[in-house]
Formats: sequence, structure tokens, C-alpha cells
Amino acid sequence: MLEKLEKCVEIGEKLGAEFVEARFDDLTLRTLLRVNDTWKDVALGSREGFGVACYFSGASGYSFTSSGGREELETAVERAFRIAKASAKVVSLRLDFEQRPAVKSKRSEAYPLKIHPQARDLAYKTDLVNRAVDSARAFGESIANVTGMYGELYGHKMFANSEGSSTDWNFELVDLTCLVTSRTDVGDLVNGFGHAGGTAGLELFNTEGSTPEDIGMEAGVHAKEQLKAKVCPAGKFRALIENELVGVLAHESFGHLSEGDFVVTEGSPLAGKINATLGTEHATIVDQGYPDISRFGGLWIPYDDQGTKANKTTVLDKGVLKHYLHSRGTAKYLRQEPTGNCRAIHFGFIPIPRMTNTYFEAGRLTKEEALELLDTGIYAIQTSGGQVEGDGSFLFKAIRGYKVQKGQIREPLREVALSGNILNLLSKVEGATRDLRIRSGYFGGCGKSGQAPLPCGLGGPELVVSAVTFGGEAS
Amino acid sequence: MQSTGKKALDYQNIKDELLSTVDTGIKCARTVDAEAEFEIYLFQRNVARATVEQGVVDAADGIVEGNAVRAAKRNNVSFASSSGISTERLKRSIEEAIASIRSVNIRDERFKGFCEPKKPGNEGAFADEILQLDKERLIEYADTLVKDGRAFDKRILTAGSSCTAEWGGFAIGNTQGLQQASRSVSNTCNVQCLATEGDERRVAYEYDITRERLIRIEGMGRKAAEKAVSLLGARRLDRTAVLPTIWEPISAASYVYSSLGQSVRGEHVVEGRSPLAGKIGKEVANRHLTITDDGQDPSSISTEAVDDEGQPQQTSVIIRSGRLVQFLFDNYYAGIYGAQSTGNASRGGGPFASALPYEATLQIRPKYLKVEPGRKSLDDIISSVDGQAVLIVDAPIGIFHSSVSTGEFSSVAQSSFLVENGERKCPLHPVSVSGNFYTGFRQLLSVGTDLEMTPFTVETPSIVFDGFSIVG
Repeated sequence: MLEKLEKCVEIGEKLGAEFVEARFDDLTLRTLLRVNDTWKDVALGSREGFGVACYFSGASGYSFTSSGGREELETAVERAFRIAKASAKVVSLRLDFEQRPAVKSKRSEAYPLKIHPQARDLAYKTDLVNRAVDSARAFGESIANVTGMYGELYGHKMFANSEGSSTDWNFELVDLTCLVTSRTDVGDLVNGFGHAGGTAGLELFNTEGSTPEDIGMEAGVHAKEQLKAKVCPAGKFRALIENELVGVLAHESFGHLSEGDFVVTEGSPLAGKINATLGTEHATIVDQGYPDISRFGGLWIPYDDQGTKANKTTVLDKGVLKHYLHSRGTAKYLRQEPTGNCRAIHFGFIPIPRMTNTYFEAGRLTKEEALELLDTGIYAIQTSGGQVEGDGSFLFKAIRGYKVQKGQIREPLREVALSGNILNLLSKVEGATRDLRIRSGYFGGCGKSGQAPLPCGLGGPELVVSAVTFGGEAS
Repeated sequence: MQSTGKKALDYQNIKDELLSTVDTGIKCARTVDAEAEFEIYLFQRNVARATVEQGVVDAADGIVEGNAVRAAKRNNVSFASSSGISTERLKRSIEEAIASIRSVNIRDERFKGFCEPKKPGNEGAFADEILQLDKERLIEYADTLVKDGRAFDKRILTAGSSCTAEWGGFAIGNTQGLQQASRSVSNTCNVQCLATEGDERRVAYEYDITRERLIRIEGMGRKAAEKAVSLLGARRLDRTAVLPTIWEPISAASYVYSSLGQSVRGEHVVEGRSPLAGKIGKEVANRHLTITDDGQDPSSISTEAVDDEGQPQQTSVIIRSGRLVQFLFDNYYAGIYGAQSTGNASRGGGPFASALPYEATLQIRPKYLKVEPGRKSLDDIISSVDGQAVLIVDAPIGIFHSSVSTGEFSSVAQSSFLVENGERKCPLHPVSVSGNFYTGFRQLLSVGTDLEMTPFTVETPSIVFDGFSIVG
């Protein structure tokens, strides 16, 4: 298939393109969804297609096709070149490339998996879901609904460009998730959630804490606890923010602001602020395509969709802004090194600056020390998502929480919403725990520019923050 | 099997071409397993998009095409999809689907079979000019929107715009004899402007969505810029209180979609996730509220002759004068509930639609929610406020991340104004707005007359709610 990509590059260059990139995705997606006692989805997808980007006079054009036929590929290259020429008439901010040495991967470069999803049949995977659902039922109470989900995404990603780069690597991702909805005495519905996932083989679900029984138990126990939970009071409180939610803060509210396309257009409040102090010494944020997955979890992304080798980029170093996350064009424009962050969700989209695994670095506190430092406030745990705006404003939902009084965890709270501005929050980080965790999965993902859901990793330690606004009931 | 999918089909013939391949696919499926039931879905859409942001241009085009197959045998049901509509890809999906149900026990006792044929509804309107729209023109549109926005005021720091043109169709066939197809077109654009003054940064948007004409970009960039500038000079509310909130159409649409748009979906009702289950005929909202799901509005970009499993799209009243009338169903959940499909089967559709719909398994989605206008203009609503209220002029952040089960929501209104004793006063710094969706509908105070089509597949005027907690 690499030959076809190289042919696309050659055709584009002959047409007059100054630079050409060609990609091929051949991915398999499996989704299993059990709702109560019914298998709602048993689905297998094959996502196969080509994308071609032509660059001309500081502008780009992109076209795609799901067919690998010669005629269709030629048409895609011609259309990409035509769009690039049309864009060049309008472009006023040129994102040219620095010439760089060719990047070559091994053939089918892959993260080592002990049990590849392909090595187990469908029955093995439905059994994983069944075990999680059974466990959730055993530990839950007043259950109105229990949902078990399994997802896997794997296959080849290939790339070639005008510099002679050619990469060929395997994307690998598995996920097992359980969601329990319970009904309170007064008819309100409350949720509990358990999950394990990331770049791993099916051996992940044999490890302690990530077995189907553990995942189901977590969902069941937490939904049960929520039956007695109170609504979070509204207002500003000191907070201890748990790892997953810290990851969402790192990704959604800060990471996006550091993406090069947002910076070059000056839409990001981080534009022009390299070496500015934005946070406390406890706030260090990193993006890394190859984290130590065996220790922390996460997603393995060795090359981006422009063929740039993955990096570890320290975006914020002890509160000081050091680097942005780049495509090759934004890197040159901002006079920084490419970071391997140019990604597309699939062949239907041109790659744009996106995150890989984004996380706060761990600190030195133990959990007990973090609670002691918090003293009195709210402990916010896990997340069901959130939203951010371009100025750094955010709102995230913690699935659950607790009131903390004098360093002691007290009564549980229902779904808790945290809001504020990330730049303000970074200046209020008082400490970080030692335990770094990176979360990734098949269900959900990043949704920038209509390219959703792109799998990413996000995480961190637990953070103590001196003031966060919580939505809830006004007294 | 004949092969299609070599290139874009033309709009006039796309249905016949896709149906022909569906028919061939069904025949092929029967040879793979004569005892199984099959459903085949083919999709093809021509997509062109252009984005201009501060002089950076991103433009792309291509043909999104793919197939999906559902196979069922003795209540085991499976799904397989693949990119492309060539016969080889379709055959691959057929084989994968049948392999799944042969290899594992995934019985679904509630499955009663695929849809029976019914007379289709109507396709929506279409403008021939959209079919002719080329990428160069889209790039020009986006560039003009950006330039107009930037030219409005020196406080506009950045402006960006996206324009899209799409057309295509889909076809569905099954072993019950159903064979249906539908076509649609769309032309959309949006422009966003960022206004700054000192450390203050405020964003505002404008948009147009159409299928029956080309987008109208005149004045749109300027309007977005004007809106962004009007948000500068914001004050803090500096209080935590329960206050009335006035939601302008775009924000009201986000509220309606996140709440009723989810809780009336048949799967949430049947599976015990919707608190509206068991409340048909009961009062669930103030009597001023009437909401319809209209899958047959000729102007809506969601209108198709049939839904994504081949049932006619229709118009369904959901709430009439505050009373719950109807839930929305596909064939499967209608069968369990004891109702008829309302033509709401969807493959990844809605305001956050999947770029590859053929990969999405079937879900129930509202097609186009319409809130019936009331009698008060927005000005009248504002002038009738006694004390303080908050006017929310854009979709609050976090509103789409609420739980259908609990109805509890917490959001931040980035763009809002203080209303005091009947007057719109100053813009506000972001305020947190939280409460319960379902309680909100019961505490609805009034519905405006300023009806608007929004990008959230909801058409609504302004709505006023009481009882939400505001932290400012």
C-alpha cells in the first residue's frame, strides 16, 4: 500500500504541488453493547481509505476517497491540488514547512501486546462484558439500568510524503466500560461508572483493578453510594481533584489552548506568552505520544499524521509556558520544533494540531497529605465530560464527589460541576500527589473541529486547588 | 454483483443506483445464509468544506461512502460496516455480520424482525445551486465572512469562518421486501468573532443553515462582530441566588435538545433511563409549552423521505400544552413498547452527526424539534421582569453534558446580560447556571415569538425559566 501512497505523492508533485502527503488507514472497530439482559449492539466496522494533502504557495488542499483504485486516487490528488491553488489566492498567513530528514518506521511498527484482540474470538469478548454486568448487579442496589460496553480499534496507519518519509504503524486500543443507573427512594436516578482501557492487549482485563469484576464492582458500588448522596452546594470551595478529572483539565482546558493552529491565529490566550508564568510550581503539563503505558496507562501514538515522530513536550514547566503543540506548519511559523501533534480522526479529514497523551506531572504528596492540605472543601472524582471556550473557560462534570472536613472525607455528593478559567485555576494549584494515572479509551474522545471522537490519553495526579466554582443548589 | 462506487453518483440517479446495489446485496446475502434475515444500508455523500481563520485556509472535499449490514437469525442480531459501496466491501460486511451471529450466543428476545415496507414520506426541498457549488466559492464565502467581521471594529482580534456544501443519498433494503431511498442537500456556514479589550475576551457566533437556497452571508460577519463587542465591559453579578433566566433561541435550543431531545427517545424510556417513562398524558411542563418533532419540514436539513431503517419520517407532537403526548421510536423500541415507529431511527445523526454515518449503529434521534411560539416578544419578556434576571444569549458551556437520567444540569453562560426591573443592563462575566431540566419545564414562565432555526436541529423562540441557581 505504501507504493500507492508514494505514487500519489509523485502525481501531486507532477501537477505542481510544492509538497504532498498521502495517508492510508485500514482500521477495524468492534463495539459490543449490552443493556440490561439484551445485546443491543454487536458491531464490527472496517474503516479503509486514503487522504491526500497538497501544499501550494503557503496553502493546503485536501481530498479523500475510500477507494484504492488508480483512477480514484488520481482524482483525489487532482482535487487536493486544485483546492490548494484556490486557497493560495486567499491565504494571508502562510504555513510553510522546514525541509526535514525523511522519517522511516519499521514495517507495521507496534506496541507489544500479549493478547492482541484479533487473537480472541467474539465469545471471549462478550464474556468480558457479561462478567462486568454480573459484578455490577452483585454490588449495586436499586438498579434501574446496567450497561456493559466493550470496544476495540486496531489496524494499520500508513504515510508517505515528498521528503521520502514512509511510516507504517499499528494503532491499538481496547476498552471495557460499565455504567449503572440506580433509582432513589423518591424516584431520582443516579449513576455509577467503571472503566479500563488504552493501548493494551486483552491481558489488561486480567490485571488487578481492571478485571471485568473490578470494573462492574466500581460502577455498582458507586451507584449504590449515590443513592444517599446529596446535591453539591453552589459556590467557591477549596478542592481536591482526582486524576481523571485532572486529565480532563489538562486536555480540554489547557491543552487545546496550546495547540499551534489556535496560537498562530491568535485565538488562544497563550499566544505570545512563551516563558510567562501562568501557574504555580506544582503545575507541569506534558504531552507525550509514548508514555510508559505499563505504569501509567494511556495511548501509544509513535507518529502523527504528518509523519513526525512522537515527542515528549513539556508545555507548562512548573507554571511557566514553554512550548506549544504543533503541526509542521505551525512549528515553523512560531519558530519551534515540530512536536508530533498533527492528527486526523480518519482519512476523511486533514490532520490538524491535536493532543496525544496530555497530563499533569506527578508531585510529592501522599493522598493523606493532600487531604490534610485541602483541609475543608470538595473532593471531585471521575468525569462524564465537559466543555471549554477559547478563552480558557471550562465546565466539567465530576461523576461524584465528597465533602471533606478537616482532612476527613465525609458525605458523598451527587454529580458535581466544576467551572472557571484554566489560567486562573493554574495559579491556585497548591500541590499534587505522587500517583500519575493516564486514562484512554474507545468510548468518547476529543472533538475538535468536527473530528470526533479522536482517541487521546489524559491524566495526572490528584491536585489540591485553593478555589474552584461548583455549580449546584443556591442556598 | 455489479460494482458501483467508482465515482460520485449524480443527484437525479443516486437513489436508483444505490437501490440497485442494495437489491443485489440482498440477493447475495440470501446465498450466504438463506435462513437469516438481512438489512442493507448504503450511503454516499459529496462533501466540500472550507475554513478560513486569520488568513489560514483549510479546505477539503471528498466522497463519504460506505455500507452497513444487519443480520438476524433466531433472535441473534449483529451489525457490520465498511467504507465504500463496492460489491466487494458490501460482501465483506455481509460475511462479517453472519459470522458474528454464528459464533456467539447474542440472543435478543425482544427483536421482532426488520421493518416492513411502508409508504415513504417526502424528501425535503433542494436547491440546484447547492449541487453546483464549488470549493472555490466556499473559500470565497468564508473569506468574506472573516473580512466583514474583522472590519467591523478594531476590538475584533480574530475572526474565523467555516462553510460547507453537501449532497447525497442513502438506500435501505431488507429481506422483508423493504426497499427505500432518500436524498438531501445542505449548505451551511458559521462565523465567529473574538472581541478583546484589556484582559477581556468575548466570542460571538452567527450562522446560516439551508437546503433550499445558497447561504446568505451578507452582513453576517458584521453581526457576529457587533454581538461580540456588545459583550465587552462585563460586570460581575457578585451573588449566588435563584433567579429567572431568559434563554434566547440559540441557548433555548441547547436546553431543549439536551433535555427533552434526550428523554423522549424511546430507548431511554424503555431501558429505564428516562424520568418521563410512564408519564404519557401527564403534565410535565407549563401549559405554555408545545413541542413537535417534525421530520417532514421541507426546509429542515434533517428531512428525508425515510429514516435510517426505511420507515417514513413523520411529524409527531411530543408535548401539547404542557402534557406529554408521544415518545419517539425506531422499529425495535416501538415493538417493545407496543407502539409504531415514529420514523426516528438514526445512524449517528443530529447536531453532532458522525462524519461516517454508516459506521454508526441505529439509535433514536429527534429529527427536528419545533417549539411553538408564544405571544410575547423578547422585548416584552424583558420589560416584564420585576427585579433581576439573567438573559442568556449563547448556548451555555456544559449544557450538552447533562445526564438524561437525573435531569440535573450545571452550565456556564459565557454570554449573558443582566436584566433588571424591565431593562437589559450590562453584559455579565460568565455565570454558572444550574438546576434540573424537568423541574425547569414545570417552572417555565413564558415562550417568546422570536422563532429561529438553530444548528442544534431545534427551532425555537426565546424561553423563560424560573428556579435555576445562578453563581456569578
